[in-house]
Amino acid sequence: MSKAIIQHITLSAGETREVVILNQPNAQYHFIQEEGSTLRLHILCLTDSQTADEQWQSSITVEQNATNCRTLLYGMGLLHGTQQAHIRTAVLHNVGDGYSSQLFKFVLDDQAKGAFRGELKILPNAQQVEAYQTNRNILLSRQAEMLTEPQLEIYADDVKASHGATTGQLDESAIFYMQQRGIDRDTAAKLLLCAFFDEVLNTLSDTELQEKLVEKINTIL
Amino acid sequence: MLEIKNLHASIAGKEILKGLNLTIHEGEVHAIMGPNGAGKSTLSNVLTGHPAYTVTEGEVIFRGKNLLDMVPEVRAREGIFLSFQYPVEIPGVSVVNFMRTAVNEKRQHEGKQPLKAAEFLKLMREKKALVGMDNKLTNRSVNEGFSGGEKKRNEIFQMAMLEPCLSILDETDSGLDIDALRIVAEGVNKLKTPHTASIVITHYQRLLDYIVPDFVHVLADGKIVRTGSKDLALELEANGYAFLNN
Ligand SMILES: Nc1ncnc2c1ncn2[C@@H]1O[C@H](COP(=O)(O)OP(=O)(O)OP(=O)(O)O)[C@@H](O)[C@H]1O
Ligand SMILES: [Mg+2]
Repeated sequence: MSKAIIQHITLSAGETREVVILNQPNAQYHFIQEEGSTLRLHILCLTDSQTADEQWQSSITVEQNATNCRTLLYGMGLLHGTQQAHIRTAVLHNVGDGYSSQLFKFVLDDQAKGAFRGELKILPNAQQVEAYQTNRNILLSRQAEMLTEPQLEIYADDVKASHGATTGQLDESAIFYMQQRGIDRDTAAKLLLCAFFDEVLNTLSDTELQEKLVEKINTIL
Repeated sequence: MLEIKNLHASIAGKEILKGLNLTIHEGEVHAIMGPNGAGKSTLSNVLTGHPAYTVTEGEVIFRGKNLLDMVPEVRAREGIFLSFQYPVEIPGVSVVNFMRTAVNEKRQHEGKQPLKAAEFLKLMREKKALVGMDNKLTNRSVNEGFSGGEKKRNEIFQMAMLEPCLSILDETDSGLDIDALRIVAEGVNKLKTPHTASIVITHYQRLLDYIVPDFVHVLADGKIVRTGSKDLALELEANGYAFLNN
């Protein structure tokens, strides 16, 4: 792992904090959430650089130390060339009555590599917790690789928790359907991939950034 | 408009179309009937350029051009439209957005400017009314969670938007309730001009009461084995395909 300094941030009671991590090569965060606080965090990895050899290593740890906290983690990686993005998350429900959701999406082209390691821990006394984790990935080339490692440790019994991970290719029947309506293959693929990322991007409260990112996705694709 | 000569096509190494001939002129409606698995949808897919099929012999001329040389999107822009037997769901892409892209790609192909936002909305309103398409549906993702009948209506809505010269309706009647069938068929009839033509694939005479064909063909085992007037559909409805075994 990298030697980057870990940033420790405590969310005070009732606080709502938004964090956007845009193309930081080495983001290391450790959050502590106090009573009734909300954390909304986005990790976004995408550049239209010529070299296409960037590497991103992010590690996000969130501890819910009091009740009624909400943790919402979102991430996307649109990688090509030899780019690599490793995202590690750990959401620790140390007490009950909490909510967390994680949604991470990757699209990998060329020889790009992505990794998502999502840890979710619900301690024995942390009852009445809802915790979700989703990782969806699309590989555009045979050489691209995605590694998904969900780690769920759930010790409380009165909880709702789920995780899902899928890695697949572009839906060829959808592409043909669009071609049959006169849309060329590339445009069809762009429409599908923008729709794929929209689920992450439409959760950004900064709509200007949202638009910029959509534009960038379109130039990269 | 369309001339299919000795068409042979296969999928996964299995020959499905085995020397099919069919000529369609402007203004005509051709119904194609035939048993399950005969190759009706295969014909639709081959005409629209589905990549899973290989044409091994024969030719298809569409408005003077070699159709089989064109990629699927060019065939569409040249005026071929398929109402899919099983319309595909496209999560996250709204019907409006999808149609705006499709209409403007076609216009570009014809050397026209893209439609202005107001013009596009006017066109949408007009065509929605024509096929009785619900406003709520056009704001949703293409076909996602649509009922069977809603999907079929959405196909005809898209046909209305794109104004193709050759439309292929592959079992558009399946899944439609009685009223929807009438509305959709009336929509198809309104889109008919002396310069358009249709291939209507169906298992039931019922649809042909509304969309009256000039010819009815029976497709069996990869070939057109019988051609007749609209009365042939009535005869098939009464007697089935038993004659094929003689
Ligand atoms: N991928 C495939 N591999 C092998 N055979 C296939 C494949 N796809 C289709 N077929 C076969 O091709 C034949 C023709 O299918 P097609 O869908 O054209 O029939 P159809 O006439 O449209 O039937 P229906 O009336 O049931 O819609 C069928 O026997 C079908 O099983
Ligand atoms: Mg069929």
